[in-house]
Order: sequence, then structure tokens, then C-alpha cells
Amino acid sequence: MTGSVTRFRNLIDALAAAPGDRPFVTAWIDEDERDTVTFAEFRRRARLQAKVLRDHSVTVGDRVIVIMPQSIPAMTTFVGAMMLGAVPAFLAYPNFKVESSKYRSGLAGVMANLRAKVVVIDEEFPDDMLGHVSLGAGTRLLRASDCRGSDGDDELPDLENHAGSLAFIQHSAGTTGLQKGVALTHAAVLSQIEHLAHAVNIDGATDCVYSWLPLYHDMGLIACFMLPMVCHLPVVMQSPLDWVMHPETMLQIISEHKCTLAWMPNFAFQFVPRRTPPSRWAQYDLSSARALINCSEPVRSSSMQEFQNAFSTIGLKSGALQSSYAMAENVFAVTQSDINQPSGPTRIWADGQRFRSAHLIDPVAEGTAGAVSFTSSGRLLPGNEVRIASDSGALLSTGHVGEILVKSDSLFTSYYNRPDLTAKAIVDGWYHSGDLGFYLEGELYVVGRKKDLLIVGGENLYPQDIEEIVASHWAIHDGRVIAIGVYNPDLGTEDIVVVAEVERKELLANAVEIEREIRNLVVAGIGVAVRMIFLKPPKWIVKSTAGKAARSTTREKLLKEHPELNVESGESEFA
Amino acid sequence: MTAEAQQMIEHIVELIRKPGLTIDENTPLVSSGLVDSMALVDLLLKLEELTHMRIPPGKVQPKDLETVAMMFATAQRVGKPRK
Repeated sequence: MTGSVTRFRNLIDALAAAPGDRPFVTAWIDEDERDTVTFAEFRRRARLQAKVLRDHSVTVGDRVIVIMPQSIPAMTTFVGAMMLGAVPAFLAYPNFKVESSKYRSGLAGVMANLRAKVVVIDEEFPDDMLGHVSLGAGTRLLRASDCRGSDGDDELPDLENHAGSLAFIQHSAGTTGLQKGVALTHAAVLSQIEHLAHAVNIDGATDCVYSWLPLYHDMGLIACFMLPMVCHLPVVMQSPLDWVMHPETMLQIISEHKCTLAWMPNFAFQFVPRRTPPSRWAQYDLSSARALINCSEPVRSSSMQEFQNAFSTIGLKSGALQSSYAMAENVFAVTQSDINQPSGPTRIWADGQRFRSAHLIDPVAEGTAGAVSFTSSGRLLPGNEVRIASDSGALLSTGHVGEILVKSDSLFTSYYNRPDLTAKAIVDGWYHSGDLGFYLEGELYVVGRKKDLLIVGGENLYPQDIEEIVASHWAIHDGRVIAIGVYNPDLGTEDIVVVAEVERKELLANAVEIEREIRNLVVAGIGVAVRMIFLKPPKWIVKSTAGKAARSTTREKLLKEHPELNVESGESEFA
Repeated sequence: MTAEAQQMIEHIVELIRKPGLTIDENTPLVSSGLVDSMALVDLLLKLEELTHMRIPPGKVQPKDLETVAMMFATAQRVGKPRK
């Protein structure tokens, strides 16, 4: 890549400018099989997809939903839609654990909001996951097998999209029912990539991205698909499921393909060393990696230290582990740690008492008794501004903990078709992130969340989705369920913990059976496993003045009654 | 039941840390929510240890590990001798 990417009118122009013979996507399928396409071949396949979509009347501004396994065809379909000026969105592929009726109703919610012209699925997509019911009138279903268009001479018309047109929609949470579609323009995406490429010193001649991240997630879509596409870098990608079942493959792929860059959530930094037998570490070589960036979960230095200690013997450079604060609403990154800093992200210690009681950061020396430690997410990307605000909306100065507000030249336009949610989220041009943090000496530290959200393995889950399912169990008092995320130091991410009141105290005698049924319900509903379920007698859960179950006070009560859950060590997350 | 299957069951019970819970060779583990996706690798590593085989990445799906009986069948099907 040479020069600024903002010279491109849109993302398709950026793809068109890539040298045709350069490798673009390598899909790592298993140890004997890989599928690589060059930029020229990727463009050819995307054009074919565009023609097929055009044959199904897809045109400028139409929404196209792509529900396909992590693969090159999923990516060419997405880009094919953009070539027509249509607005694609990736949705998560159905997880086999989820009941088809639940999947269909989640999908119906997204469909009602996006009103897509076409939904593209792969050949193996299970029939029962889709009914006409879930698609709605005016939406057509295309199997990838129907997508073999002729490679004729008829050229696609030049994309008239200007930079201000919508490029695509990315969703900000893993569960479908409450998903908010973040609408992003070509200009916003190009601005983000311009700043991100600068912050991580992208070198088009030598960089290569490794990714196991899902394409429906901002790290997977922006950092590991759009950034390589616009900056003309190769990316080696595997499916998230293959990675989570064999985290060791990360070491194998980086070694074989000499990858230089990767983004991953905090838990991965301890998951890979803990789940790869040490006797096999020496087979790998991480010396090619120049930045592995911790992003999308609260950054914990203990997790990064574990990765560094484990793999410095196989070439991992000191300073290769870095951090970033990112969100779908800003396209991706707001901050990035200084990747030239050999000691990695800045770490500070602060007086624990002052932090908890006054929400103030009083720096103290490392090792001071009662100190809490925080790891920086780095400095603002150019074009990005951050404010820290109190609960009442007052601006707070440096060293005060409050809600992080973001303004930037890559900020989203709206939640698609949801002016109500958009107006709540963007006030006077500032996006209210719902995350809590502080600013100190030019760096941003993210310490927790104001909003009710669980982040499990880097994926956002709404507690309401889990609570609704649990409350549907016959033995559980309707509305008296709380789902919270509790940090699990062994995994480096949050566990899903559920507290629920039974209808009558006597039902507690059947707790084991009821818990088993609740687990089944949650898995069938949204495909995630609950780590712990606490069944409580009636009136145990703390209610708000409005009579609703109060999440934060119930959380405190639970942690007090079950100290075994309270595992926060010196590294604190603000609760 | 083989001694290996019994050892796998003990490993899973320890992994789940759920007092009072009993499982057998045919207890559904994944679809029941007892084992989450981040614990699948623990099952695979244990399976490799017990069968003295290598389970190659990319060849196994979560549904192949749904029960203890299916785990050993999966190892038979895709396992390769150790390098």
C-alpha cells in the first residue's frame, strides 16, 4: 500500500487497486487443506456473486444478509453485494445446539428490522432453521449453490456510491433478538482503516494478518477483512470453532504463514498457552508476529503476561503484545497502544480505596498494599476524541472514572431503522459507549461497564436474552431472574452466572433437576452454556423501586453470599 | 465400559465441578449445556492422552463430542498415530 486510503471513493475502489497477483485470503481448513485466492481471483468471484444478486433484482441500497460459515464464498458474497451498492450484513451461522424455532424467531426480529431483499445461505444450511415465517414478505432466499453465475463479458456498472453511502451493517451483539445493526458509510470505514493502518504501522509489502475471529464481529470484519482488503495485505483465516477446539492451531498457522498481526480478545491470551501442551510449544515459531492486539474484552495484564512468558522461548518478541479499545459503533478502534513501545501497553497502579469509594485514580508505586492495577488501551487514533462523563452528564477531568463518550470521523450514522435507539446512543454528536474508564497522561483505561452486558470470550451478550429464557421455566418466578458475568481467572473471560427465584420454596428440593432443565433451555435458546445457576427462595432477588429485579444490587448480594465467586485479584474491574 | 471411558467420565465430572451430578457414556454434554465451547479442547486433549492418538484440527465438530461414547468413536474415525 502506498499513500492514504482515503483517496479511494469507496471500499470497492480500494479492492480494485490491489495488485492482482498478490495473495489475499487463505482459508485454513485443516492441516492438509488450505484454499488461497489472490486479489484478482477474489475480485472475479465477487463480481460473479454481484451478477447473481443483480439477477435477483438486488440494487443500490438493498440489504443483503449473508449467513454462511467462515469461508471465502461468504466474503465474496459480502463484497459482491457492495459492488452493486447494496448494503450487506453478516449474521452468525446457526449453532447446532440452538433449537430451530428459537433461531427462526431471532432471525425474524433482525429481518423485520433490516427488511433485506435477499438472504444468502450455504448449501448445508439446515432447512429447519429457516421458515418463510422468519423471512417476511419481499425477501428471497438464495442458496450459495444458486450463485453460480456466468463469467460473461457484461461488466458491472461502475459503482456510483460516493463515500457517504452506506457500505454495510455490522451487528454489535452475539444474540439475535436485541441486535442493533450499526450502519456504516464507506467514508467512515475508510477513515477508520486510514487511522488504524497508521497506528499499527501497516506495511503492505511485509504484513500478513492471522484471524480466527468471526466475520460478524467487528474484529473479524474490520481488522481482519476490511483492513487487509483496503491495504492489500494477505490474511490467513480459520473458523472460530476450529480454533476454540484446537487453540494450538494459532501457533501452527502463524509459524507456517509467518503472520505479523492478529487481534484477539483477552481470554485468548491465556487460553492458547493453557490449552497447548508445553511439550509441543517448541514445534512453533512466533518470531514473525510484530503485534498481537488485545481487544474487545477488558484488558488484563496477567493474561498477556502469561502468553508472553509462555512463548518468549519460541521467538515471541517483547512488546509484541498490545492493546486497543474498539467498538462496532466506531467501525472499530478508538485507541491503540503504542506498538513501538517494547514494554507493551502502559500499566499503572492506583490506590484501591480511592478508586472504589471516590472513583478517582491516585497513582501509587507498584506493589503498594491495597493498590489496584490497570492496563492502558492506548492513545486515541487520529480523528477520534473521548470525553469522560459522570452519571449526571458532567464532564470529568483526567484521573476520574466515568462513562466513555466517543466522537470521531468514523462514527456510525445510526442503528439501522432504529431512530429511537440512535437518539439515545448519540447525543450532540457524542456516542455514549456505556463503558466506564478514565484518561491519564494521554492514555485511555477501560475499567468496566455501565450498561448491562456480558462479554464472554469477546462476544457481547445481553443479560435480558438469558433472563427471559430462564424465566420461561415453569418452576421459576416470572421476572425474578438475573444473569450476570463473573470474571473467571482460569479462562480470562466472564462466566455466565444466573440467579433465579423458584415459585415456591419447596421446589428447591428439586434443584438439580431444575438446574439441568434451565441449562438445556438456555443452550437451546441462544447456544451459550451457563456456568453456574443459583436457585433461591421467593423474595431473594433485590427489586428496584419499580418492582423490577435490580441487577447490580442482586449481584452484590450474590457475591457477598458466595465469596467463592469473588475472585478479583489485584487487577480490578470496576463494578 | 472401558477403563479409558471411565477415566474420561471422571475427567468431565471434575471439569464441570457440579456437586451431585452423575454422567454416563451416553449423557449429552454439549447440547445440554454441561460443557461449553471453551471446554471442548479439554475433552480433545484428554481424548488424545487416553487413546494415544492425535486428533487433527479441522476434522472434528462439537457434535462429535456430544457423549463419551461418541468421543471414542470420533477418535477411531479421525485419529492419527502420534508423530
